[in-house]
Amino acid sequence: MRKLLTGLRGGLFVGLVLALAAVLFVDIQDAQAEYGDVVINNHSDAATMRPVIFPHWFHRVRFACKVCHADLGFKFKAGGNDINMVKIIDGQFCGACHNGEVAWSVENCNLCHSAKPGTPTQVHESTIQKLAQPSGASQKK
Amino acid sequence: MKKLQLIASMMLGLAAAGSVSADAGKDTYTKVCAVCHAGGIAAAPRYGNAADWGPRIAKGVPTLYQSALKGTPKGMPAKGGNLTLPDASVKAAVDYMVAAAGGAKAAAEPKADAKKEAKAEPKKEAKPEPKKEAAKEAAKEEAPKAAAAPAPAAVAAAPLVQEGASAADVNSFNRLLKPAGKRNLPPPEDGIHDPANDGTHALQPPLAAFGSLPKSFAGNRVNWVEAIGSGKIKPRWDRTDLTAEPIVMDMNVVREVKGSMPDVVYPHKQHTQWLDCSNCHPAIFTPQKGANQISMASILLGEKCGVCHGKVAFPVSECRLCHSKKKDLVKPATAAAR
Ligand code: HEC
Ligand code: HEC
Ligand code: HEC
Ligand code: HEC
Ligand code: HEC
Ligand code: HEC
Ligand code: HEC
Repeated sequence: MRKLLTGLRGGLFVGLVLALAAVLFVDIQDAQAEYGDVVINNHSDAATMRPVIFPHWFHRVRFACKVCHADLGFKFKAGGNDINMVKIIDGQFCGACHNGEVAWSVENCNLCHSAKPGTPTQVHESTIQKLAQPSGASQKK
Repeated sequence: MKKLQLIASMMLGLAAAGSVSADAGKDTYTKVCAVCHAGGIAAAPRYGNAADWGPRIAKGVPTLYQSALKGTPKGMPAKGGNLTLPDASVKAAVDYMVAAAGGAKAAAEPKADAKKEAKAEPKKEAKPEPKKEAAKEAAKEEAPKAAAAPAPAAVAAAPLVQEGASAADVNSFNRLLKPAGKRNLPPPEDGIHDPANDGTHALQPPLAAFGSLPKSFAGNRVNWVEAIGSGKIKPRWDRTDLTAEPIVMDMNVVREVKGSMPDVVYPHKQHTQWLDCSNCHPAIFTPQKGANQISMASILLGEKCGVCHGKVAFPVSECRLCHSKKKDLVKPATAAAR
């Protein structure tokens, strides 16, 4: 009886691990996430501006995470900061640097507002995005 | 294999389905259903995809309510795995998805007409949500033509629209893996930047920046640990004070893993080179060994280590970077014998 139980439990565990492996399998086949660009589109589309693409990789070459995520208070969530232009010109968020002193100033609208209209908020090519690949769809890239 | 994927995605679905206070269908959809229905995990009908939904809508919306409430044997969990959801929220979410797929009309017209439909009425569809989804799909397809007509049905039509190209590609060597030449594309070609925007062409292509950095085998293929360790990059520790230096803490925390996988060694050193203690403690991790429930499922869903790994730091596919401590495999064997 005891043996049976442990056997069962073992089976369940193996099942879970296999299920996990299945997820990972999909991931590995498909993915190798190329994280790096964050699209921010809470307000842009509605304001008929192109959505913003924040090149995360570009900034981490120049600043430690701590500068933005601790000192400047950016939350770890794409689209989670409710950024708008007033805050930026008042020196918050992107405006803490894009002020003509640390980096180029806000008049360069199209460097930030550079996404295809309609692109939803996302971390482009993150693992979680890859896991949700259409199963039956054409996989042409 | 398929079954396993179902189990796996159900696990994911269940884990993801947190508390929901939704009345609006969109809210429920985003919080609960999108995990599977946005991308079609386990062959769930995809949001905004008329071809996926057409035959189902044909069964009648009340039947769909039942499937959503009670679940189906083919992988739809009852209430999307969130049994505390009020029935009305679930039904609202069904309505929301049905509407995005073109509503009852999509059922009336056979699939082959999807293409025609897409061409005939791109303007009529003013709903912002389907438009976004269509644009996303279109971006994946990298078909500029499809992006120009962002109607929901364009998603379904996209495979049909691509005439010659897809026929030649069906037996391409790598069907799912992205070939090396398609990685880290320059902004105008990466599928999210708008090539029609002048600013796009002024941005730095990733490969121009990555060329001089140490390589890795995953993610954006930069070994960031080595890049900072060897001084190839010197990210500022303060926005303006160039003399500020991080206080690097060299403390490893070993997390024992059940099963055959090597134990996980969590290194504070590589993290505190970049991050402040407050970035992780206490919001993501209680600072006490073993006090945190961490599993691979949660990491894949973007929680715990997955807050960063797979999004902005090396992805989950690099098992050995985390699972780096060999363990004594004899011990579990004797334990099992007992
Ligand atoms: C440093 C980057 C940056 C620059 C430069 C920039 N923006 Fe923005 N802008 C943002 C971000 C980030 C948001 C928030 C996006 C969202 O949530 O959709 C935003 C939002 C907006 C919005 C919608 C929200 C609001 O405040 O009304 C408008 C309109 C806008 N920007 C216009 C402009 C214009 C016009 C310019 C040029 C004068 C400009 N932006 C330059 C980053 C920038
Ligand atoms: C120059 C500022 C800056 C630096 C440096 C920076 N980030 Fe970010 N990070 C951002 C912004 C902006 C966002 C997007 C927030 C938004 O959309 O509101 C973001 C998003 C994120 C996210 C959220 C992804 C998600 O799940 O949506 C994570 C995690 C993250 N960063 C981690 C890091 C780590 C780790 C580092 C250091 C290696 C780092 N960041 C460095 C500005 C920065
Ligand atoms: C901690 C400072 C800092 C913050 C915060 C910051 N940036 Fe930057 N950003 C910079 C610096 C420095 C550069 C490089 C400027 C240069 O080339 O002169 C830059 C460059 C850029 C570029 C151009 C990249 C290229 O290819 O040349 C874009 C786009 C950009 N930032 C967008 C944003 C957006 C959007 C935000 C807010 C979500 C933001 N930045 C927040 C410091 C910052
Ligand atoms: C864990 C993944 C998952 C989640 C979460 C999920 N679904 Fe599904 N759903 C599926 C799968 C898989 C199918 C296809 C099953 C089938 O063909 O019977 C499906 C099918 C459906 C169908 C069509 C059923 C039919 O009879 O054709 C409806 C309606 C539906 N889901 C609604 C919802 C709603 C509403 C939610 C959120 C409250 C939700 N789903 C959340 C996986 C999921
Ligand atoms: C990237 C996220 C991250 C950062 C940044 C971070 N920690 Fe931790 N810390 C962890 C994790 C994960 C654990 C292990 C928790 C567990 O085992 O459940 C941990 C554990 C600890 C522990 C408990 C160790 C033990 O043996 O009980 C202490 C103390 C600690 N951290 C202090 C710090 C301090 C001080 C800093 C800043 C210098 C810091 N941490 C920065 C993620 C982080
Ligand atoms: C707040 C963001 C964040 C969190 C949370 C986080 N990491 Fe990291 N981790 C990083 C960054 C940034 C690096 C540097 C390497 C990179 O960017 O690819 C890194 C590097 C590492 C490395 C070093 C790899 C090497 O080559 O030396 C290991 C191991 C690691 N992480 C494991 C973990 C584990 C295990 C957890 C969860 C307990 C975790 N990390 C949570 C951001 C994070
Ligand atoms: C970012 C770091 C990281 C990476 C990369 C990683 N793991 Fe894990 N893994 C963990 C952590 C943390 C745990 C939880 C350990 C514990 O229980 O304390 C874990 C647990 C596990 C478990 C035990 C079951 C569970 O879900 O808790 C298995 C099996 C596993 N990992 C397999 C893998 C495989 C296979 C890969 C490569 C595809 C991988 N892991 C990549 C950090 C990682």
